[in-house]
Amino acid sequence: MRRVEQVAIIGADASAWMAAAAVMRSLGATGVRVRVIELPSLLQMVDTYSALPALDGFHHRVGLQDRKLLEACKALPIAGQRFSGWGGEMPQFMHGYDRPAGDTKLDFMHFWTKGRQEGLRSDFESFSLGATAAKAGRVPVPVKGATLGATYGYNIDARAYSALLRHCTLQQGVESKVATVADVEIEGERIAAVILEDGERVEADLFIDASGQQAVLIGQLPGTEFESWREWLPCDRMLVASGNALRPYPSFSQISAFQQGWIGHFPLQDRTAVVAIYDSREISDQEMAEKLPGLARLPINGDAVVSELNQGMRKRGWVGNCVAVGESLFSLEPLDAVQLHITHNCISQLMTLFPVEAEAFPEAEAYNHILRIVATNLRDFQLAHYKLNQRLGEPLWDRCRDVAIPETLQRKLDIFAARGHIPLFDFETFQEHGWASLFIGHGVIPQSYDPRLDLLPEQEQIASVHQRMEDVISRVEAMPPVEEFIANPARENSVPAPSMG
Amino acid sequence: MSEPLKIVILGGGTAGWMAAIALSTFMPRDRCHVRLVESEEIGIVGVGEATLPQIKNFNDSVGVDEAEMMRATKATFKLGIEFVDWGAKGSKYIHPFGVHGPADMAHIFHHRWLRAVQQGRKSGIEDYSFAVQAARHGRFDFPDTDTSKIDSTYSYAYHFDAGLYSAHLRRLAEQRGTTRTEGKVREVIQDPESGDIRSLVLESGETISGDLFIDCSGFRSLLLDKTLGVRWEDWSKWLVCDRAFAVPSERDELSPFTRSTAMEAGWRWRIPLQHRTGNGYVFSSSFIDEDAAAEALLRSLDTKALADPRMIKFQAGRRVVSWEKNCVAIGLSSGFLEPLESTSIYLIQVAALQLLPQLPGKRIDQRLRDEYNRQIDKEYERIRDFLILHYKLNRRDDSEIWRYCAAMEVPESLTRKIELFRHSGFIERYHGLFSPPSWLSVFIGQGLIPESYSPFADTMPEDKLISFLDGLRSEIHDKVQEMPRHDQFIERYCAEAPAIPVAEGMSQ
Repeated sequence: MRRVEQVAIIGADASAWMAAAAVMRSLGATGVRVRVIELPSLLQMVDTYSALPALDGFHHRVGLQDRKLLEACKALPIAGQRFSGWGGEMPQFMHGYDRPAGDTKLDFMHFWTKGRQEGLRSDFESFSLGATAAKAGRVPVPVKGATLGATYGYNIDARAYSALLRHCTLQQGVESKVATVADVEIEGERIAAVILEDGERVEADLFIDASGQQAVLIGQLPGTEFESWREWLPCDRMLVASGNALRPYPSFSQISAFQQGWIGHFPLQDRTAVVAIYDSREISDQEMAEKLPGLARLPINGDAVVSELNQGMRKRGWVGNCVAVGESLFSLEPLDAVQLHITHNCISQLMTLFPVEAEAFPEAEAYNHILRIVATNLRDFQLAHYKLNQRLGEPLWDRCRDVAIPETLQRKLDIFAARGHIPLFDFETFQEHGWASLFIGHGVIPQSYDPRLDLLPEQEQIASVHQRMEDVISRVEAMPPVEEFIANPARENSVPAPSMG
Repeated sequence: MSEPLKIVILGGGTAGWMAAIALSTFMPRDRCHVRLVESEEIGIVGVGEATLPQIKNFNDSVGVDEAEMMRATKATFKLGIEFVDWGAKGSKYIHPFGVHGPADMAHIFHHRWLRAVQQGRKSGIEDYSFAVQAARHGRFDFPDTDTSKIDSTYSYAYHFDAGLYSAHLRRLAEQRGTTRTEGKVREVIQDPESGDIRSLVLESGETISGDLFIDCSGFRSLLLDKTLGVRWEDWSKWLVCDRAFAVPSERDELSPFTRSTAMEAGWRWRIPLQHRTGNGYVFSSSFIDEDAAAEALLRSLDTKALADPRMIKFQAGRRVVSWEKNCVAIGLSSGFLEPLESTSIYLIQVAALQLLPQLPGKRIDQRLRDEYNRQIDKEYERIRDFLILHYKLNRRDDSEIWRYCAAMEVPESLTRKIELFRHSGFIERYHGLFSPPSWLSVFIGQGLIPESYSPFADTMPEDKLISFLDGLRSEIHDKVQEMPRHDQFIERYCAEAPAIPVAEGMSQ
């Protein structure tokens, strides 16, 4: 029984380097050798990653500091995303990155629901620390001992991020070679070797496919058919361009729906990434490019780049000695900053399930099972935006509203509408407050509240609501604006990286 | 404020009174009125019972004082369950309420141990579990709250007389507004259109109407089964035992753990209480006849029997839903799993507490009911699978039941877990019962030693590994020696009403 000694990663950009960094950091000391076959980058100058707060955990694990991220990648801290034009009573809503309360007291959600029934006019988001910080252009830096908390993600220049990760990873002893793949030798369900265009035969105990939608390895293995999610997520095109930087720097990204899809503004330090996600059945690429400056309400600098978007998932991500991470396994539009999160999650699960020997991989089944649940939960979250849209009379949006949604999402919607609870399953990315913010933002108001609330005298309930709003306001006032944060980034990792070695 | 919800609980016992106290404590008085109907005539399935640590959370939250409760219920402490002869004959292991290894090494410790074993180390994993060592040496103390200390790595539960426990809860529940009605139900009146239960007619003629009915009528399941006809899901192909004899015997040494001993056609429990010992033989009538089972139980007692063995019949399984129309079943009326891992009261607790956030208005919102049922489904299935695990991994071949169980097909999710552990020592983490340390103790305890271990365990240099394990074993051993003996702890903490105040630091 032999350990996995040689790991070969075939891919490009963030996925490949994240995988390499994770494996090397965790297992380099035990003698595992990591080699990256660097395929041509798919990234353009205009490309941007929007990252969820959770990515901080990965950076901590591989020793990448926030300061470096800000400097090298022109990153901006993002406390939430604002959604406009999705219809309904609320012209827009802010989804802030709140931290869960952590104690067992009754969720504030119920205080608000009852308050609203009794005439409270304030929006739910005025009680959200993250949303309020985002609206005020502040950054929710951690405060020791505070029960009320919020956090932040980043918008990151994709090429710079990729280069930064590459640099850090190579420094750790990872080998790399720039190449393209000519052939993949398969024996049953195993990859025997990857043949490069210069003839080199790359063998390894474990192959990691980090090649994005090309899926150069996993796509060759049996039982890995791609299943499209288009019935729920109709958009199949991504158009990316750049506009001027927004000053002063905002601390949120903006997602605006329009007739054929949505436009995202993702501010960075030196520019604003403008991303159009749309359905090619509704509008052609040409028309979209022409429409962009008007919709973006920002002059566009340079060219816009169009690419295909295939949202969906492969039936299996780990077959034999080959594991797909990132978009080679499943892909979603960047509606809720999930793109890097997909890769992060895959790598995280791979490390948890890292094979103990090189001949047999029963871990594969667990990986596939878990990632399917992860992907389903992420898909459901994004799909909820589409289902709950109120853009009446527009074909794309009418269809999305009418479609039958998966049972998993229906259940969450039903329980929330009934009682303001969010039933969470295993492997959920977004927690209760995330879902609540999404639902309420789209106009789903709970019809009742948790009856235990009324154990508190009415006066106390009202006082709690007032106190909460005051706390939010005073906390946000104390937070640094983005410019100040950039000069002095401070992230306290309250939870030490899990000790796996 | 709209009219309060009228809640009628049918049946007392642990199920009825735990539901009553939960509702009376956590619901505002004007939100619901709670009435419990029970009959002294109807026997309650009350045997000495073991519990899980979650019961302490329940007690704390409803304001039950621990020492007082233990005094009233003749309780002892429980650090885990010892399983005797479940692996090979002669083997024994403890499933502890605690982790193996130090506090901060949750998921990697057993891989380090496996590595050491593969390299020739001869000590079992139990050497590194504080809870197991304390239990084996008959010690007890409250865990340290400093989570860096080795004696913070466990929790505890109780053994108690369940009848006395429910009586204890009854006092509190009645104080908080639960009305108790004595009587037997003669007839159940349903709404002719919806089929909802409208009222119960007692033999006295009294009619008790309600909006929501809680069926705690035990195996009879008078409401959920007999009235509403909810189907039964049978799990007896995996959990073959269908009878149990119970018999009390004289008080024995107060070990701080439950013992489960595998027998010819099932297993025998031993539950130490302050005033006597609870014993039972859970068996399958397909593999032994009732008289032989009763005899085997009596022969096996460590102390003198105090009564004749009493038998109950059951079937492993549950009602397909716990909440149908306006009736929620809690306890035996909702399902049954043998007490191999002391989960009966836990299931009651969960069923009662889960009702609180979903408590309906006068008109039942189906969405709340569906969510409730889904939560309870999960709980039952997880426990079921863990019980099946014990039977599946047995290493006996000396009687039919064990050969059957070792060969039987089990749920796919369980097979996957077993095979993955066998391959690499990997244990899945998920919310709820049972945690990875529990799975670990049963896997290793019943002889399933993984073929390999996580490569992450290779990062510690070998000499460090050895000194680390040696140090840990000594640390645990020394600390356990310092602990008070369990019987003395009970004596001081909760044996009789104290003449002098309880010593400081003893109560939580």
